[in-house]
Amino acid sequence: MNLRTYLPRLTSVALAGASLLAVTAAEAKEITVWCWDPNFNVAIMKEAGARYTKTHPDVTFNIVDFAKADVEQKLQTGLSSGTADALPDIVLIEDYGAQKYLQSFPGAFAPLSGTVDYSGFAPYKVELMTLEGQVYGMPFDSGVTGLYYRKDYLEQAGFKPEDMQGITWDRFIEIGKQVEAKTGKKMMGFDPTDAGLVRIMMQSAGQWYFDKEGKANITGNAALKASLETINKIMAANIYKPAAGWADWVGTFTSGDVASVITGVWITGTVKAQADQSGKWGVAPLPALSIGGATHASNLGGSSWYVLESSAEKAEAIDFLNEVYAKDVDFYQTILTDRGAVGSLLAARGGAAYGEADAFFGGEKVWQNFSDWLAKVPSVNYGVFTNEADTAVTAQLPALTQGTPVDEVLKAIDAEVSAQIQ
Amino acid sequence: MALARRGGIGRYYNVNGWLFVAPALGLIALFMIYPILWSLWMSFQSGRGMMLKFAGFSNIVRLWNDPVFIKALTNTLTYFVVQVPIMILLALILASLLNNPKLVGRGFFRTAIFLPCVTSLVAYSVLFKGMFAHDGIVNATLEAIGVIGEPIPWLTHPFWAKVLVILAITWRWTGYNMIFYLAAMQNIDKSIYEVARIDGVPAWARFTHITIPLLKPVILFTTVISTIGTIQLFDEVYNLTEGKGGPSNATLTLSLYIYNLTFRFMPNFGYAATVSYVIVVLVALLACVQFFAARERDR
Repeated sequence: MNLRTYLPRLTSVALAGASLLAVTAAEAKEITVWCWDPNFNVAIMKEAGARYTKTHPDVTFNIVDFAKADVEQKLQTGLSSGTADALPDIVLIEDYGAQKYLQSFPGAFAPLSGTVDYSGFAPYKVELMTLEGQVYGMPFDSGVTGLYYRKDYLEQAGFKPEDMQGITWDRFIEIGKQVEAKTGKKMMGFDPTDAGLVRIMMQSAGQWYFDKEGKANITGNAALKASLETINKIMAANIYKPAAGWADWVGTFTSGDVASVITGVWITGTVKAQADQSGKWGVAPLPALSIGGATHASNLGGSSWYVLESSAEKAEAIDFLNEVYAKDVDFYQTILTDRGAVGSLLAARGGAAYGEADAFFGGEKVWQNFSDWLAKVPSVNYGVFTNEADTAVTAQLPALTQGTPVDEVLKAIDAEVSAQIQ
Repeated sequence: MALARRGGIGRYYNVNGWLFVAPALGLIALFMIYPILWSLWMSFQSGRGMMLKFAGFSNIVRLWNDPVFIKALTNTLTYFVVQVPIMILLALILASLLNNPKLVGRGFFRTAIFLPCVTSLVAYSVLFKGMFAHDGIVNATLEAIGVIGEPIPWLTHPFWAKVLVILAITWRWTGYNMIFYLAAMQNIDKSIYEVARIDGVPAWARFTHITIPLLKPVILFTTVISTIGTIQLFDEVYNLTEGKGGPSNATLTLSLYIYNLTFRFMPNFGYAATVSYVIVVLVALLACVQFFAARERDR
């Protein structure tokens, strides 16, 4: 048999096999989901899937747990290769990256406007997934930030919970110095290769690396300047325990080595996982910068679900997301209580769980606080180059701590970002 | 036997021979030559994700104005200039020590030194990350024996992070090079050393004037291989720095930058392809220089 006649025959056999598989899959209706964090996104999606399967017994779920970087890499590879076979039906994308995917891979994601009633969600979440009048994702969790602090350490240093409310960063650093003097504990863990804290501070004052039109907003950005100055003060005061990477950073507070954590609400599950620290934690509003427009509310991370246009189970996937994430208020109560997930469906805030006191936080109504702060998060345009700007900021942090004036640091960041965004 | 009658036996063998290698050639063309040519074409394009447009030489112009690329290039060359000579020298010394037949426990030492290069790149990087953490075992040990007062910021200071990467790759690859030298040394005729010893040539001179010249082809080979490995360095840096090449881009390599341009940043496959061609050109140039240097000394 010669190769020319053999190859097409082989291909057709393979194709028949593939379509046979597709047919079987369609009958079983299994929805594949890619996401990260087994204690948070994965567990929440399993809960959502279980709820949907109860009313739709023919639909089952295959929830695959990857590291976030791996989800992004696999998605990006799959989308660029042009073959959708290896891609899931639903994928989780962090909000900072949403526009990057929507703009780089037009037609890859299914628009959900028309099906989903977006008026029920926090507007900033909807805005970041809108492109040319179409809305593409199902808004999921919010990264509203707070200051988690160890009541026991602060009490030893002579501070009451009232002393932590509505403070500025300068005051925070002062408290940090005293905590170290009295207890020997550092105030916070800090990873100098992670620009998360800079982003939190900057957004709390209503600015971002980019302006509303998506142009670089670095050298004239008062909020970014104040954030860098604050980071510099924190480093100069040496009130932090250095961390290298995420796991190391998480270790700084799970081990009890530091007195506070400043990050998004999604960290609650990790904080609460240390059962022996129950009752020792409190939550206060984010410290504010000392500039005009500064607030005590910000956001870090947060992500949303997207349906792939090429998905064989597209209709079921969209219906599933719409039924659970856009309508089921009770679902949001469960994931709040179990996982500390603050969703962006506004109606969920009226649910019972949001008003409950949490024993882990000494009976504070932490969820009510977070949802109040959520409403105050300044809306900014994340643009499409946040990773690039982040890299430029962390690249310049050592120069800043070695005494380079902050304006020159901003210029260097601007030069790097400008070279990257084209 | 129609073929043989028409073109003779030579033609018969020719056609059959080519038919036998054709599948392999086809696969090579499909999975090697086609992607290489396609990436060359891509390096003349630019854009976001799938929206690539022909851009002429704009990617090459962009290289010169890109501080991150310059940084990655400098870092990569620093690794190459510092690490390759250290490793080659260390491997040579270890090989000649372990070549001594009087050494007790040779087998053990050979195995111990070779073991690192059969461990998984990812596994050892993760292990190194733990060992060299702020309060990791290395800092704790150094502090306990009084070498340092403050913990060394291995992963958070630009200088020490580079040192750590160099330590890691040296640990991983020295044994690999050593095995080549060891094998080559066993092929050197023992009588040459005997003659030298009888003539009163000291051990050091025997090493520099007999061992090294006779090992030259192997040294050249390992240098070229190590050069390619170092210029393409990716795994260690990726795993030690969570894929960021930090702190302050101090450990960023060209390969890691290509990865970032494709998977972490706004995907620009065209520009990433251009950077990967920089590696190709760099490796080709350095290999040429090394071959040239080795040939010159022969005369």
